[in-house]
Amino acid sequence: MQWRKLRASFALHSRVLDQAGLLFRASVSVQHPIQGSLAFSNERQYRTMPTHGIGKYKHLLPKEAPKKKKERQQMKQIKTATDAEYGTLNVKVSGYDMILVEHYSQYIHNLCNRLGVKVAESYALPTKSTEVMVMPEQGTKMYVDAILKTHERIVQLSQLNATLCPTFMEVLLKNQPEGIQLSVKLHTEADYQARFKARPELEGLMAQMT
Amino acid sequence: MAAPCSRMANRPLWQFITNVRRTGLKHTGVRQISLSSACRAATQTRSKTEGVPSPWKLYGAVCLQRLPVISQERNPIEDQFAELMHQMELERSLLSDHEQRLLEDSERMTRKQADNYDSDEEEADYGGQETITAQDQEDTWEQKLKHFQPALRDRDVGGTPLGSVERCLGDSLVLLVQQTVGKETIWLLPQAQWEAGETLRQTAERGLSSLPGQLCGEADFKATFLGNTPCGVYRYKFPKEVRTERCVGAKVFFFKAFLSAGSASQKEPFLWVKKTELQGYLKPPYLEKVDRFILNL
Repeated sequence: MQWRKLRASFALHSRVLDQAGLLFRASVSVQHPIQGSLAFSNERQYRTMPTHGIGKYKHLLPKEAPKKKKERQQMKQIKTATDAEYGTLNVKVSGYDMILVEHYSQYIHNLCNRLGVKVAESYALPTKSTEVMVMPEQGTKMYVDAILKTHERIVQLSQLNATLCPTFMEVLLKNQPEGIQLSVKLHTEADYQARFKARPELEGLMAQMT
Repeated sequence: MAAPCSRMANRPLWQFITNVRRTGLKHTGVRQISLSSACRAATQTRSKTEGVPSPWKLYGAVCLQRLPVISQERNPIEDQFAELMHQMELERSLLSDHEQRLLEDSERMTRKQADNYDSDEEEADYGGQETITAQDQEDTWEQKLKHFQPALRDRDVGGTPLGSVERCLGDSLVLLVQQTVGKETIWLLPQAQWEAGETLRQTAERGLSSLPGQLCGEADFKATFLGNTPCGVYRYKFPKEVRTERCVGAKVFFFKAFLSAGSASQKEPFLWVKKTELQGYLKPPYLEKVDRFILNL
């Protein structure tokens, strides 16, 4: 019923509009929504309409990778030594003075970047506190004299060329600051596992299961 | 490989008459370098190609370095800069726990001295005074510091001989020995002739261990070789009268090593020199090649 009404009114008005002009058409379209509001607002533009798809912008933005959940930390492959290169090496810098330790480890990292040696990882191990107890001559009870903190930093190198190694080590040793211990070892899985905290409840449950 | 030419004199045996040991010498800490043994992968000797042996004699030499024990002296500019940075850091820093405790204690003391001091109120707030204040602790620490005597930075104020390992503690030193090569006795890096069936690195190790001092059992150099690759090579031709068809000259391959445990006694044929002093001892063409791989850090 409404459609017929609309059509009739449209037909009537169109004749008027032909004489009148565009302005009237605009006013007509405003009046009629009261009757056919539902029809008009739900109606999408047809594909042949020149304004079809106006306002679309999502296709212009760069494609985002689908958001995936963070996977569990996996250990990086430990590389083995070949004839020309060493495997994964751990360069450990440790000492009492944190500033020196940090600066020296940063120096090693930058040196590797400059020389083209690939740095797999660069991390810090937890600080170890050592209490120095002093026993006085008279009494037997020991008392705490000082607390020394040992800081450790590790720079993990992956492919160190055997020809570059002596020069690299020499530069490292000659620039070693005082009070800093430097050690170069092969990376093992035990080293990797040592970084994680122990989980007593989990271990208890696992023991119960087995 | 050319047959060892008899005209080339091998290292002569040195004879020593007296050895004077330094008494009361505390061994300066030579740096302990720890390398995992897996890093020293043993290389296999490459199979020699059968054919015409090369006319060059091969030698393996070792450039043994003693790393610096203490840090170098600072320039005046470096000194000023370090002071400036220290001052800036101090001004920007916050108070530490100990310093806060000091302030609190001093405030408490002033309040005690004031006329309207209410001890009950104070004790209620602070729960009894502590027996050791922060100021007392500082005083005890200062006392301890006065008792501490740091060692002298430079031990060779009097001028230790050039053969001593503890010469310039702030620089790295290279070992030089006097050997007879051909007809002359010259200063050079310890070397040994290559024998068939060993790697050049083993030749260099042999050269170090078979030094005259080592044979007598006096000097004992424990060296750590860092890798199997040589760091330099020196090639020279023999003078015309010595040259034959089979040996035209010699090639010396240098390997780098670091001293991990030094010896206490010094002897004449050894010399520990800095890079700048090498000029006075080595021959110019030899020096040119050696200079290239000795780092002056």
